[in-house]
Amino acid sequence: MGRSGAMNVSEDTKTLVIIPAYNEEESLARVVAGVRAAVPGADVVVINDGSHDRTPLIAEHAGATVVSLPYNLGIGAAMQTGFMLAQAGGYQVAVQVDGDGQHDPGEIGVLLERLLAGEADVVVGSRYLEKRGYITPWLRMLGIKILAGYVSTLAGQRFSDTTSGFRASNRRALQLCAMNYPADYPEPESLLAFRKMGLGVLEVAVSMNKRYGGQSSITPFWSAYYMIKVILAVSILLLRRAPRRGESTYVP
Amino acid sequence: MFPDRLTLFVSVAAFGLLLLVLEMVRRRALAEKYSLLWLLMAGAILVLALARPALDRIAPVLGIYYAPSALFVAGFVGLLVILLYFSAVITQLTRQNRIAAQQLGILQARIETLENALAQAPNDD
Repeated sequence: MGRSGAMNVSEDTKTLVIIPAYNEEESLARVVAGVRAAVPGADVVVINDGSHDRTPLIAEHAGATVVSLPYNLGIGAAMQTGFMLAQAGGYQVAVQVDGDGQHDPGEIGVLLERLLAGEADVVVGSRYLEKRGYITPWLRMLGIKILAGYVSTLAGQRFSDTTSGFRASNRRALQLCAMNYPADYPEPESLLAFRKMGLGVLEVAVSMNKRYGGQSSITPFWSAYYMIKVILAVSILLLRRAPRRGESTYVP
Repeated sequence: MFPDRLTLFVSVAAFGLLLLVLEMVRRRALAEKYSLLWLLMAGAILVLALARPALDRIAPVLGIYYAPSALFVAGFVGLLVILLYFSAVITQLTRQNRIAAQQLGILQARIETLENALAQAPNDD
């Protein structure tokens, strides 16, 4: 149901769209083109997370800036690299769109609208806020429900989609992310971190496409491992006073 | 009194470990920083093995009624401490490594941007 028409709001708000990509040569050209059409005023950076395929070439041809990490650091560290760039470059807004094409770039406008209206510091696109015909295998749905329930309880706010990587952050939030961002599966953990730091988080309903290409890295075993790890990480986050400062802050 | 076989074996092994660690440090195959725990452990086991009367008195306090078993307990605890320490070191290295890789990627992109701008700029000379 994505809104049609380009979003011009970013002309006067310096916006960086961050696309983490690991071996996404099949989908990336379409994602970058879609993002550039949806938010023409924004800068687009692809964080190539040590891909073995033509991901960096394709990103560059599609018109994105490419930052290539020397080897695979994982989605969290790749995203943090994007936030470091956003912080150093003085961007007011950072948008995260996955490189596999599961997010509809046309809906970036929906996120930005709510963010720029000042409704929250972080706006998250949720697949499960409204029924939109996106079918999830039951086992994964169970995991998602458990995780959402746990994170929601700890955060004191109802979240329907804690693993969504379709987000827009304002300057305050992106600075926090540049300084400290969870490593492997950062989405649920970062939600709680935002809440702990007193940032407002808002979920808005979005549609979700099937992946354009490639294969999801999620298998039942890894899903279970993922869930246990995230639950541990989120629980330990509760015991910490505040994210550690002065770590991995990039000042050019 | 001739030492029993276990005491002899453990002493020789601990002494051997001590020598091996020292030799590795001498050859710079092992940093002093990481050798300390090994030296401490090997030294402690050697002392416990040789000072049999002390061991005989300490072991029952810990609920160990066959004194030489205390040697294995000491070795096990020492290994646990060393492994935990190394896990912490790996964690720290991973973090430092990640930051270095991130900054490398960012710097590389900036150099390419600068080079492209330079190539396009009119030459003043």
